[in-house]
Amino acid sequence: MMSEIFNIQFLHPSVFYILGGLLIPFLKGRVKQVYMLFVSLLAFFAVVNLPYGTFGAYEFLSWELTFLEVDKLSKVFAYIFTIMGVIGVIYSIHVKNDGEHFSAFYYVGGSLGVTFAGDFLTLFLFWEMMAFSSVFLIWFRKSKSSLDSGFRYLLWHVAGGLILLAGIMLQYSVSGDLSVQYLPFHGWWPTDFQSLASFLIIIGFIVNAAVPPFGAWLPDAYPAATVTGAVFMSAFTTKTAVYALIRVCAGSEMLIVLGVIMAIYGVVYAVLENDARRLLAYHIISQVGYMVAGVGLGTPMAINGVVAHAFCHILYKSLLFMGTGSVLYVTGTAKLTELGGLYKTMPRTMIYTVIGGLSISAFPLFSGFVSKSMTVTAFGEAHLTWAFMALMLASAGTFLHTGLKVPYFIWFGKDQGLKAKEPPWNMELAMGIGAFFCVGLGIFYKPLYALLPHAVHFEPYTAYHTWETLQLLLFTQLGFFLLLKKLWCEDTISLDTDWFLRKGAKAFMWITKPLAKIEYKFIGEIYEFIIQKPIMGTAKVFKIIDTVVVDGAVNGLGKLTLAWSRKIQNAQSGQIQHYAMYMVAGFIALIVVIMVLP
Amino acid sequence: MKLLDLIQALSTKTVKKIAYSVLVLLIAVDFIIPRHEIHFFGDKIPGFWSLFGFIACVLIIIVSKWIGHMGLMKDENYYDE
Repeated sequence: MMSEIFNIQFLHPSVFYILGGLLIPFLKGRVKQVYMLFVSLLAFFAVVNLPYGTFGAYEFLSWELTFLEVDKLSKVFAYIFTIMGVIGVIYSIHVKNDGEHFSAFYYVGGSLGVTFAGDFLTLFLFWEMMAFSSVFLIWFRKSKSSLDSGFRYLLWHVAGGLILLAGIMLQYSVSGDLSVQYLPFHGWWPTDFQSLASFLIIIGFIVNAAVPPFGAWLPDAYPAATVTGAVFMSAFTTKTAVYALIRVCAGSEMLIVLGVIMAIYGVVYAVLENDARRLLAYHIISQVGYMVAGVGLGTPMAINGVVAHAFCHILYKSLLFMGTGSVLYVTGTAKLTELGGLYKTMPRTMIYTVIGGLSISAFPLFSGFVSKSMTVTAFGEAHLTWAFMALMLASAGTFLHTGLKVPYFIWFGKDQGLKAKEPPWNMELAMGIGAFFCVGLGIFYKPLYALLPHAVHFEPYTAYHTWETLQLLLFTQLGFFLLLKKLWCEDTISLDTDWFLRKGAKAFMWITKPLAKIEYKFIGEIYEFIIQKPIMGTAKVFKIIDTVVVDGAVNGLGKLTLAWSRKIQNAQSGQIQHYAMYMVAGFIALIVVIMVLP
Repeated sequence: MKLLDLIQALSTKTVKKIAYSVLVLLIAVDFIIPRHEIHFFGDKIPGFWSLFGFIACVLIIIVSKWIGHMGLMKDENYYDE
């Protein structure tokens, strides 16, 4: 396949991240930094260079796997994923831990693999690669709580992945077709096998899109990740899921309701939240809610809006995570109750973060305005007034928290006298690039509109529309300052559906304890009486044959196996992180083999 | 540092007065602004989105805090016990 790809003068963009990532551990210092930046830039230009069409089809067992299917939709997502790859690499280039770079590379590579996958098996392969590589971005924080969060993150994603796989297999058995295709789901419950397949696939996707009640992994995991890891994570998992939803499930009405609930749910939790990064995580859920609802509506304008919003969202959300991440990096905390008064020491970081905040709030002249308004207007034009109003309400909530609460309590509020300074140059550069895009797209939005999958008949800067947004946002600001005392942060955490996992695990252990006793005493004895004794009897007969005939031949082999298993035994540490690492290594090996073999 | 002076200048009384007059201006202009896209009743009422924004903000804060204090908010060590 490699030769075939070289012949046609372009490469699958994830090849850069997947093969390029392999070299990271062998490089040092400045060379490694330049190399990583170079690889991420190459991946971006590889996307620029991609022609439309289907390439890289590959026979695997009896299936045909298609690695590279390029159309307008996949290309615009690949653009933003690779741009984000460059920004993320710059932001994290000072990090000493190679493992972190390695995981981030495979995470980005995985998202590009999903984006270009032409069949469901390939999609699934890269889907899992994303989960298993990104979990290390949490674990490398190296604290007990991030270790636990990482396990829960993996549990959610493995469960979601299995549901997706079940859907894929059912789809294959019903239709015999594995290609990634349009399989919308109508209604709330499946009625036949075909709709059950669509249903399972949509559930698998919405676990990754963090749709409640399956979304608790996101605010659990992202604040637990490393400073730089969270920046990557804020961009890829949910947006890859949005891409998959557009591709497969556009027009599934269920998504409208779920999306609107999400948009408001994120806002409510953001009011209660004290950890700045977790607050932003809840606002990812809220923003992805607009996208999920837009996918559910499914009109060309809604889909354009969703794609544009995903594009802008990745830029401003990563900018916000970079800003709060810098605060965490410099001061050691992201808790709003412990922060305040940083405008004296970190004014530039404040400006970048406020630009991100104004963008997510869809302030005119900032990126969110040209994208969010398209999605919301699509609801207005479809005369779904309840959804339209609910999304406008969530917009007010977004500005209230990300535009006002976060900057206010970090940079103003009560001066805590923290010692702080601006973060390292590379982190600032990455924030500068992000801020540049956020303002740039807000003013020069035409190039973005040209990338969208459908023709755009929408003008964001009409007089009334600009005025409507300004009124909504500035009067929200009035409410914020009038109710500032009520908004004062509290040193708490909020219960979410991960309660069932956390407390459920304890209950499970409590139930299994007596069960284990029963098993040991009662079932164990029955087993011995019914099964073990007769087997032992038979075995005695065999043993006689065995010692005489087989042993001689086997002994030699046995010694060899023993020597081997002693070696392998070292790999069996009993720690799930290590097993996960082996699985990732296996994935990588498999993909590398597929890419390199003819 | 200039940036710092600029930020500090923003917290004066004059700025506050300007901010309030901007709000009044927002509603005033809404009476004369041309409306091309009327999706529902609210688009016809001048100042609708001002009122909506303010009420939305107040509602979000009060209702969320109320839900939070109903038992959703727990001590930070809740899961460690």
